[in-house]
Amino acid sequence: MRKALTTITAVALLSGAAAWTLVARADAQGGGTVEVTVKYNGKPQVDKIKVNKDTQQCGTEAVIEKVAVGDNKGLANAVVSVPGAKGGKLAKGVIDQKGCKFVPHVVVMNPGELEIKNSDGILHNIHTYSTANAPINKAQPKFKKTMTEKFDKPEVIKVTCDVHSWMLGWVAVTPGPAAATDENGVAKIENVPAGKQKIEVWHETLGKQTAEVDVKPGQVTKVAVEMKGK
Amino acid sequence: MRAAIGVLLVLMLVGAAAPAGAQRGDAAAGKGVYDARCALCHGETGDGNGPGAELLSPRPRDFTKGLYKIRSTANRTPTDEDIFRVITEGMPGTSMPAWAVLPEQDRWNLVAYLKTFAPEMFKEAPKKVELPPDVASSDESLARGKEMFEAIECHKCHGVQGRADGPSRPELQDEWGHFVPPANLAQRWTFRGGASRTDIATRIAVGVLGTPMPAFLDAVEKPEDVWHLTNYILSLGPGRPAYATLVTVARVDEAIPEDPAAEFWEKVTPSAIPLMGQVIVDPRNFNPSITLVSVRAVYDDTAIAFHLTWDDPTETKGDGKQTFPDAIALQFPPTLTTSTERPYFLMGDGSEPVYLLRWEQGKGVMAATASGPGKVAPLEGAEVAGAAVFEHGRYRLVIKRALAGGEGRPTFQPALFTPVAFQAWDGGAGETGTKMSLTSWYYLRLEEARSNRRFVIPPVVTLVTLAAMVVVVRAANRAR
Repeated sequence: MRKALTTITAVALLSGAAAWTLVARADAQGGGTVEVTVKYNGKPQVDKIKVNKDTQQCGTEAVIEKVAVGDNKGLANAVVSVPGAKGGKLAKGVIDQKGCKFVPHVVVMNPGELEIKNSDGILHNIHTYSTANAPINKAQPKFKKTMTEKFDKPEVIKVTCDVHSWMLGWVAVTPGPAAATDENGVAKIENVPAGKQKIEVWHETLGKQTAEVDVKPGQVTKVAVEMKGK
Repeated sequence: MRAAIGVLLVLMLVGAAAPAGAQRGDAAAGKGVYDARCALCHGETGDGNGPGAELLSPRPRDFTKGLYKIRSTANRTPTDEDIFRVITEGMPGTSMPAWAVLPEQDRWNLVAYLKTFAPEMFKEAPKKVELPPDVASSDESLARGKEMFEAIECHKCHGVQGRADGPSRPELQDEWGHFVPPANLAQRWTFRGGASRTDIATRIAVGVLGTPMPAFLDAVEKPEDVWHLTNYILSLGPGRPAYATLVTVARVDEAIPEDPAAEFWEKVTPSAIPLMGQVIVDPRNFNPSITLVSVRAVYDDTAIAFHLTWDDPTETKGDGKQTFPDAIALQFPPTLTTSTERPYFLMGDGSEPVYLLRWEQGKGVMAATASGPGKVAPLEGAEVAGAAVFEHGRYRLVIKRALAGGEGRPTFQPALFTPVAFQAWDGGAGETGTKMSLTSWYYLRLEEARSNRRFVIPPVVTLVTLAAMVVVVRAANRAR
């Protein structure tokens, strides 16, 4: 009886390890990079609010960029992901509260831990709006420079601070490879499995859009997506 | 012995586990009670949108999100006892009444039914928060509590003195995008989840779900700071105001200062008067901002003065559209008699007007007359003095006038029960006209002047009695 159990365990472990190496090798060999350029033809949408407190850290005017458009109509802060792919290897998610803003505005991470920093040295509170993950509302006073929260399930989570109501950030938890666009609307997604893939673009104000791309192993495939206005 | 303790422990564990494991209520039976008692505000589908919801602030809870304000748990899931307690005791300072009148089983059934509105949210078992050991209040604890209060910036929302006047106040919204005011820490009888030490420490530790109030258990320097903060918050105001039924106007010999911040006023005993929203005539005020006025009153040979203290989170002159000038008024009958007849308490009417001592932000103090709700006219030639100061979410005001009145103005006399009523407007909350807080008629009474005869008559009586006794004793001795 005991022998049988040992054998089963050993077989299970071995096959598990074999499968893992296979997947890992497939990723390493067959993965490609997709460079997505997200464009938006509309105008930037920017709100400005007068600030009446913590002006040393926050300044006297808060700028809320609902739609940030850079050079060549590049759309910043869009999340570009590959919904069909699993096993993302993104770096650990880090968000900072700096100048009474969430930096970066959009964090892209795989399920796991998010490091939350408070560089401002004033009270902020991390208030998340989520359904799949448990919503949190935790204070982070000046002396609490960093804290860690777990987001296990894929979803896009809105993050606010009630002390400074203009503060708004997003944490995109995706199971697979993903990235956020920079100020020129460019995002590089690495480790995308080869073959035809669906690319999903998400933006807080402009919504979702998808595109098809044929990923070649070991190469950079470029694709442009134009977001339609809402 | 050891075995007995073991058995006891097991029994205790079983006892503690039972409520979590076995549901005490029956959801199907709870539906009937819910539809009859709760749906009017919380909505048939539990979405917080019942027919009565529009009129309430804070709004009734939307149960479909499964977010419960008052929890004793570190995670988002409340215990059944948490929900049961809110149903039983209600939520002070809101429209949620205490339902202790319902049979206990009905309330447990309600708990079970409420959970069916958001079954997903109850999949995770409640995890009781572990508070550090209680720290009794002391000077050191209060000092540490104040230090922490400032370090973790409670004042951002709750204000420096805790009167809900912090700079972030206007920005605060609940999960549903409705304005939600911070708690007034100086009025803890309005704390939604109770005002005991444990209640307060728990709220600080785990926050109030669905509102901006975050959890602070991991955000204080040391866990026991939660208790220092609790002690400090308990020191910010009384547990419950001692409501007055009669305002006594003390007679004083010193000069009566017109400065509301003068030390003089600290020595006068205040009377706490509760105010209600005006809901008789349109536009009504279902959610009054000012619910308490503290009254101090004194008089001397020639003048009478009233010192009023009330909380108002914003000092407002008003834009005339959304906001209006803050104001307060004392109301009297225009003439004082011993009759029990009084004008209509809601600012009089056409046949019997009232006399008002009124203060308004930007205009100062004045005497006025009113002949119906909102029908206020200034009284010409009536001299009134006084001033108001605003500091950290609190107004203090002195209104002073001569004892003697005239046409349409009462003459205040000692020992006479004088009808008085109060009206207040928080212009920053959009209160103006009949949208106000008010009281029905109260009485005030000027202390009678103490005559010096009290120093003369008792000794005289004593002497006369003694003399009489001596006479009687002598007469008796002689007769023997």
